[in-house]
Amino acid sequence: MKTIISIFLAGSLLLLGSCSESGPTTEDATTNKVIKLWVAPDESQEAFWKIVVERWNKSGLGTPVELKTIPAVESSEKAILTALVADNAPDISTNIFSGFSTQLASLGQLQDLSVMDGYQELVSVRHMETIMQGWDQDGKKYVFPLYSNPTLIWWRRDILQRLGIIKIPETYDDVYALSEQYAASDNKYGMQIMTGKIWYDRWFDFISFYYAASNGAPYVKDGKALYKNEAGLAVLTFMETIYKNGWTALDFESDDPLTTGLVVGGVRGPWSISFFERMYPDTLKKIIVGPMITKHKGDGKTFTLADSKGLVIFKNSKVKEEAFAFISWVFSNDEISLLWLEKTSLPPARGDLMDNVIFKNFYNTHPIARQYASYVNVAVPSAFTENTIDVQKTMGFEMVDPVKFGTKSPEAALADAVRRTDKILRAEH
Amino acid sequence: MKIGNINIVEIKESQIGAALAISFLLFNVIFWAYPFLWLVILSVTEWRFFDVPTFSGLKNFFAVLYDPEFWRSLWNVIRFLGYYVPIVLACSLGFAFGLQHIGRGKVFIALSFLVAHISSGVAYSLVFEKIFSSTGPLNTFLADWFGFTIPWLSSPNMAMLSISLVVTWKFVGYYGLILYSGLVAIPQEIYDAAKLDNTKLLTKLFKVTLPMINAQLVMVLVFAITVAFGIFTEPYMITGGGPMESTNMPLLVIYETAFNRLQPSRAALMAIIIAVVSYLVIKIMRKLLEKNVELV
Repeated sequence: MKTIISIFLAGSLLLLGSCSESGPTTEDATTNKVIKLWVAPDESQEAFWKIVVERWNKSGLGTPVELKTIPAVESSEKAILTALVADNAPDISTNIFSGFSTQLASLGQLQDLSVMDGYQELVSVRHMETIMQGWDQDGKKYVFPLYSNPTLIWWRRDILQRLGIIKIPETYDDVYALSEQYAASDNKYGMQIMTGKIWYDRWFDFISFYYAASNGAPYVKDGKALYKNEAGLAVLTFMETIYKNGWTALDFESDDPLTTGLVVGGVRGPWSISFFERMYPDTLKKIIVGPMITKHKGDGKTFTLADSKGLVIFKNSKVKEEAFAFISWVFSNDEISLLWLEKTSLPPARGDLMDNVIFKNFYNTHPIARQYASYVNVAVPSAFTENTIDVQKTMGFEMVDPVKFGTKSPEAALADAVRRTDKILRAEH
Repeated sequence: MKIGNINIVEIKESQIGAALAISFLLFNVIFWAYPFLWLVILSVTEWRFFDVPTFSGLKNFFAVLYDPEFWRSLWNVIRFLGYYVPIVLACSLGFAFGLQHIGRGKVFIALSFLVAHISSGVAYSLVFEKIFSSTGPLNTFLADWFGFTIPWLSSPNMAMLSISLVVTWKFVGYYGLILYSGLVAIPQEIYDAAKLDNTKLLTKLFKVTLPMINAQLVMVLVFAITVAFGIFTEPYMITGGGPMESTNMPLLVIYETAFNRLQPSRAALMAIIIAVVSYLVIKIMRKLLEKNVELV
């Protein structure tokens, strides 16, 4: 059996290998080495990396870098995985979220960055000690976080003014009141509650609301679902009330409802800033940003989700040290952090974002980006679990969708979702 | 030309034949037999992309057996067929009958319908997603003119119908042409005889036309069933398998199991089950509906 399997495995690798690309184009002639870097398929991030790689290659400080956008036909994860199996993986890849890093680490594909030369200096220069604790995986640091995107709520200031609302909504009651008022007008709704239909959309609805309601308590930890509590119930009851009263549409797939004025508010991340700057600059001028809403306004800032992604170095890379030297050069340079901010508007993952003088000028002229930066310290990353997709699909199937369609009470939905999630997590561990 | 007892022309022809057959066989070995055997091996092993597969007996079988999402996706195939087959058959027949009565521009119209078939699945899925949205142009029109909206994609009961309509739009020209080829092959004498017997229109349809294009109808049904088991782009792009997994089709589950859950062995077994079930469904359908039509 083993022989047959080996033959097939060898055959597969041969086939995949033959499909892989030919040699690098910018290989260093003398050392014959090159660092292959894959970056997120995102216009603004690509623009940033293009400039940085060009500067590095011109500087002659180390091994040249070959830049490529992740060839993501369906998803970055699939593209990276396929490349790893085909032995055609890059040395560094960005766009890695917590769940995927957990999977790759369990498959033994990631390099522990904390053992690399210069790691402590890099973390220290960016004041990332606390941030890195959030990315700890069994004492190892496989991911170097690049940005931390808090989710906040965008409100149409002009509509709030028209409705006579001066204060930015912060509680469920505030939203009920404005929804009742605005939905009374022709074919309008109060707030966009659900951001989409895919499993990852749960980050931007239920999980964001849950973090706000629970002061950042984990929803999955140590192989158990933990959201069957007062906070979880409060969020689902809020969703139920909004749907029952028709204060939100079943979906908003046609156009962004903030641009059409169909809703007064909706959850958005900082990535929407550059998108709106390009596509809807007039709407962007009418936007004010507020915190995630909760049942009762508490003291201090409201917690929220950090949609955080980082970069990894793959274990099979033959230029790990050189790759880390490149990373150190990029991320220990404050000017490059500023360039990142200017190109992407995404808050760089660093602890001195609001204190460092170099970012002050930028934030003084970019009030929406400043709002996001001010929430980085209360933004919690998504759960580190290999079963991200099942955990979040279950949230949709057992809980959020039934509450939306009124087929389950919030209590029953919560109990069902937690039961099924626990069962899945038990089966996999 | 003959040398001794050997015919040179015959040798050449047989060599060409063998060469052609070998290229076909080689293609099938590489792109069908090899992946299929690999699939079978994977289905009884534990493999997570980077390690060497180890024999795991029936572990994958039981994992799939107790996976409610997979069985729901199979049930969704039946639901899809329930919507898709009557709609696509009615529309394709309508298209074929229409084409029969068109004088000029027949080729142009036929080709126009085929454009849908060769269009990018991702592109038209994005368009239909917007058209069918709760706040999209179709619902805005319905709300403005008739005072109601239809939850095309957001209701678990309606979403599958909407996906069926999109897939129908894609295949109606293709299936229509197959049925049209059957219609034009029916001898006019049969219709003349039916006319002499004062046969009514519906009787003529069910007793003459449909039985006479049985081969084409069965062919279209075989295609429709394979589409139902193999559909991916439309539910992936338009509904993401939702709402409440009501459009979650087997290929979506296989894709997620292999590439998101990183369980390729389990996904391999699912693929084999899908292949066997689709083969059985086609076999049963042919047994029930296929007739040997002969003109004596």
